[in-house]
Amino acid sequence: MGGMTETEYLVEMRGITKRFPNVVANKNASFTLRKGEVHALLGENGAGKSTLMNVLYGIYRPDAGEIRVYGKRVEIRGPKDALKLGIGMVHQQFKLIPVHTVAENVILGLKEMGFVLDGRKINQRLGEVISRYGWKISPDARVWQLSAGEKQQVELLKALFRNVKILILDEPTSVLTPQETVVLFQTLRTMASQGIGIVLITHKLEEVFSVSDRVTVMRGGETVATKHVRDTNIEELVELMIGRPLLKIAPARQLSREKAVLRVSDLVVLNDKGLEAVRNVSFQLFGGEILGIAGVSGNGQQELLEAIAGLRKPVSGKIFLDGVDITDKHPWEIISAGVSYIPAEALRYSAAEMTVAENLVLKAYRNPEFSKKILINWKNVAKKSMDLVQSFRIVTPSINNKVGNLSGGNVQRLVLARELGTYPKLRVVLAAYPTRGLDIASTEAIHQEFIKKSEQGVSILLVSEELEELVALCDRIMVMHRGEVVGVLERGMYDIEEIGLMMTGVKKMEAKA
Amino acid sequence: MLSLKLERRGEVSRKFSAAVSGFFLLAGLFFASIIFELLGVSAVETFSRVVSVFTSQSSLMQAILRGLPIGFAALGLCLAFKMNFWNIGAEGQMYMGMTAATGVVLLHAYYGYIPDFLVFPAMVAAGFLAGGLYCTLPAFLKVKFGVNEILPTLMLNYIAMHFVNFLITGPWRDPRGFGFPLSIIFPPYARMETFLGHANFIGLPAAITAAALIFGLLQKTSIGFEMRVLGQNFEAARYAGVKIGRTLLTGSMVAGGLAGIGGLVIVSGMLGRLRPGAPAGYGYTAIIIAFLAFLNPWLAVPAAIFFGGLLVAGDVIQATLNLPFAAVQIFQSTIFLMIIVGEFFKRYKIRVVR
Amino acid sequence: MIGIGFVESVLAGAVAAGTVFLLASLGETYAERAGVLNLGMEGMMIMGAAVSYIFTNALGHGAALLTVLLVGLLMGLLHAFFTVSLKLNQVVVGLAITILGLGLSGLMASSEIRGRIILALNPEATRAVLASQEAPKLPLIPIAGLKDIPVIGPMFFNHNFLVYLSLLLSFVMWFLLFRTRFGLNLRSCGENPSMADTLGVNVYLMRYVSMAVCGMLGCLAGAYLFIGYQPFWVEGMTQGRGFISLALVILATWNPLRAVLGAYLFGGVEALQFRLQVLGIAAQLPYFLLMLPYAVTIVTLTMLSLESVRKRVGVPAALGVPYSRE
Repeated sequence: MGGMTETEYLVEMRGITKRFPNVVANKNASFTLRKGEVHALLGENGAGKSTLMNVLYGIYRPDAGEIRVYGKRVEIRGPKDALKLGIGMVHQQFKLIPVHTVAENVILGLKEMGFVLDGRKINQRLGEVISRYGWKISPDARVWQLSAGEKQQVELLKALFRNVKILILDEPTSVLTPQETVVLFQTLRTMASQGIGIVLITHKLEEVFSVSDRVTVMRGGETVATKHVRDTNIEELVELMIGRPLLKIAPARQLSREKAVLRVSDLVVLNDKGLEAVRNVSFQLFGGEILGIAGVSGNGQQELLEAIAGLRKPVSGKIFLDGVDITDKHPWEIISAGVSYIPAEALRYSAAEMTVAENLVLKAYRNPEFSKKILINWKNVAKKSMDLVQSFRIVTPSINNKVGNLSGGNVQRLVLARELGTYPKLRVVLAAYPTRGLDIASTEAIHQEFIKKSEQGVSILLVSEELEELVALCDRIMVMHRGEVVGVLERGMYDIEEIGLMMTGVKKMEAKA
Repeated sequence: MLSLKLERRGEVSRKFSAAVSGFFLLAGLFFASIIFELLGVSAVETFSRVVSVFTSQSSLMQAILRGLPIGFAALGLCLAFKMNFWNIGAEGQMYMGMTAATGVVLLHAYYGYIPDFLVFPAMVAAGFLAGGLYCTLPAFLKVKFGVNEILPTLMLNYIAMHFVNFLITGPWRDPRGFGFPLSIIFPPYARMETFLGHANFIGLPAAITAAALIFGLLQKTSIGFEMRVLGQNFEAARYAGVKIGRTLLTGSMVAGGLAGIGGLVIVSGMLGRLRPGAPAGYGYTAIIIAFLAFLNPWLAVPAAIFFGGLLVAGDVIQATLNLPFAAVQIFQSTIFLMIIVGEFFKRYKIRVVR
Repeated sequence: MIGIGFVESVLAGAVAAGTVFLLASLGETYAERAGVLNLGMEGMMIMGAAVSYIFTNALGHGAALLTVLLVGLLMGLLHAFFTVSLKLNQVVVGLAITILGLGLSGLMASSEIRGRIILALNPEATRAVLASQEAPKLPLIPIAGLKDIPVIGPMFFNHNFLVYLSLLLSFVMWFLLFRTRFGLNLRSCGENPSMADTLGVNVYLMRYVSMAVCGMLGCLAGAYLFIGYQPFWVEGMTQGRGFISLALVILATWNPLRAVLGAYLFGGVEALQFRLQVLGIAAQLPYFLLMLPYAVTIVTLTMLSLESVRKRVGVPAALGVPYSRE
């Protein structure tokens, strides 16, 4: 890289197109990064931000378009190539080895440390950098002992030690406390002042204004505008993100709110790491109501749904369905009671080597319709599967094909078909990001299905990051932040900006004030 | 530069799958013969000995008899592996099955509370229970503590082996056996050949019935469906409301129980007594059989009989070609390796790319 | 009957018997640290024993040990080819290699074929050598001065060179694993191969290397078992020692230095039961002694399943998972 000529841009991406089986994730997208700037890449979930940056980092190969790094046209075949070019990326899921020490994680793969690793020398070099940025991590600490913010610092250390010139951070604040966020932004400014170009993937407007120099807005896979932050304002960015001024308020529906179908009181749930993910959450869901849960993903929504579905044991609190206590009930009993659950990751909860038909009756196989005593009636299963494949437009050669061979969107539709179509008496639908990764037509079909179900009296708890979806569908929207309910908004009182603020933890009253 | 690239195949037809397996089965035999030739043994002669086993009626009966215990154990393993329960402890479960069956015989021989004709059914029940319970131990550790079953099941084989050695050199030793580590010879009512003239005459129908039951269990019943879902994806099974602990314990009970029945066949049908080292690696061979049968219960019994034939051929080779029994293990391992390589080619295709 | 002499003999026997376990578990530690579970250890060990038996009789100790290492290398690479390159199930491949090893060793060491191999290597071999079920043992190299210390002397300083080598190796291998870049790369392959790959570690190569080391040490353990410990050929003479070594790796929590202690502990169990059997006392006890290593392993595995323990000792997270770059 020694002989490279100084150009204005570290990175120029032009006309990038990336197609996935069901969607075009990037459409003729362009992006530039200057030396020493923090460049926010802003957009709603599914706007194609992460895809574009994964193309730069070599995880995806673009179908069209060109990438120039330091002015030279390059082909990036994988993260290894990217690293060689001085491009580093900090993912939402940290790529660290928990049982190794901080030092071991940082120096892995670095040849200049010598064959025999001199612990003292390495710790000293790490210590210098750590103190330069005012961090408090010890090089000898095991990574599993660190907090999320500290783990992120280890990732940044890795980048610094590899002389990364271009650093991509994917939603870096989603796992951080407000204090940790302040520290991170200070770090980013310091790094930028040393000439590193930083890409900040985010959907939080305030991050654009608190740390960034320029901002590129993405919508529907396209880059719609690049602005200097000082030349723009919140209203303009919101409009660019959403594509039109918001506040399309649908008329409120007539709902009787006499008896709650689902009642959750003071629920506390831990996540996989044993930390409190849901904190004292209480709410009621009424018959035929669609209640939206807004929030940045990872703020306890998934744990909440899993607890209701019986897949995660609450620490305390109660869950009632039609007045009956279902806390600590086995998932099977909750399913039998008519609670369906559309999980965020469809494939994670599918039997990939089993057939479409078998996956469709994954939960319903014990219904009298499909099994007599212990024998399964495969004829009825086939008939029902055929119906569902047709009505949910699942594209598959036959119902006896393996689910693992279907495309992502079709697996998603299969899950929806199962959760909406195989319950004999459906009471409540728990839906986590049900339209993520689907094209517009499918998304609309799902929305129609939800409305139809709700009109039949089914209650729906809808977790989504797409405010547009929530605003269009929900009778009420509940905002969650760090495991707590920040506030509940009634239909007709939706205000995107307010919800956005609440998603960052600002309470309803304060937001209003 | 040319390089090789792996590509996943999508849906594979039955015909293609059978052709690949057939090819690699032959490849296994081919590699075995290369090893034989390298060691200066005539592969042709060895093969002709193997083939001759299946052409004579008496040795075919022997092959079936040897194949039966392997077949029962392999049926259990088909079920276990379908549940993604990596039971490599069939050997130990066989030990336990034969121990329990022998225990019933000894109890009856010394105390005799039940009529003679009930002894054999009691042996079957005891063999099944002992093998099954021995298999539920690692399953319990998996359910309760999340302990991976591979090493515990392996370790339990050796514990069972030493346990049998203890019994057979101590409390269960035949008092008139001149100090040899052997149990008493089973009385006729405890031996399989007593009933229809040859152990195969009840053993083979029983094995085929067991295969049908396992097939029906897996494909036609809801508990079998649960087992398959569990084997596919643990998370999906939880999500679908499967009672995981119950399913895994039931499945491992059946799997181990069938291995236990295999053990019963060894003492009651083949040896007529308990002696050290009685399973002779049948429990490990059963693992090969389960894979050779692609976990399909219908194929497990024929495959086991094929391998039973190899074992008989081993005896013939030993006697006529003066080669150790180990020659058979060469066949077993090369066939095994090639069959799993075949699985690779069913999943991937290799392409040369520039 | 049980005096200081008995204790000395058991302890010396513990080291002598334990070295088999030590060599094998050092190899297995590397394989598992890199993410490969080698259930073929039993087969590698028995091949080592058979090859050392035949080649010692034909060409002497030096050539035998070299051949053993070569055979081990090939077996390790064979395992790696199936599990790393073809990404086949490690349990299945391991078992197949164990059965292959048992079969091949039995066939090679059978009288006729063994005779043929020995004659081919050494046409002057006498009839006595051809018929022998035994082979000359490796010479003892007592360490002058130290070997006369009571208890410690016979325990540690009166053995053949493989015993000393195994001790040296356990330190060297520990150092390589925890104090060098090579070791860090290797451990990363067992923890998070895709990340290691991104950062420039050649995961496939590391797994091949560790399996080569594992194969060589596994075969060497078998050779030690034969020419260093009990030089009398019996088909299948390893009797599950390869599997015990796997258990030992767990007991030692994937640490070469801790493996030394565990190996001598398991060796001690073997030595003790052997001597008790010879003495004819506590006739049934030996069987329960023999169960002990296996039972201890199951208990250890259960304890390791606790998340809190797991994190501290570092069970390789990607153990048994084939890596494919996709």
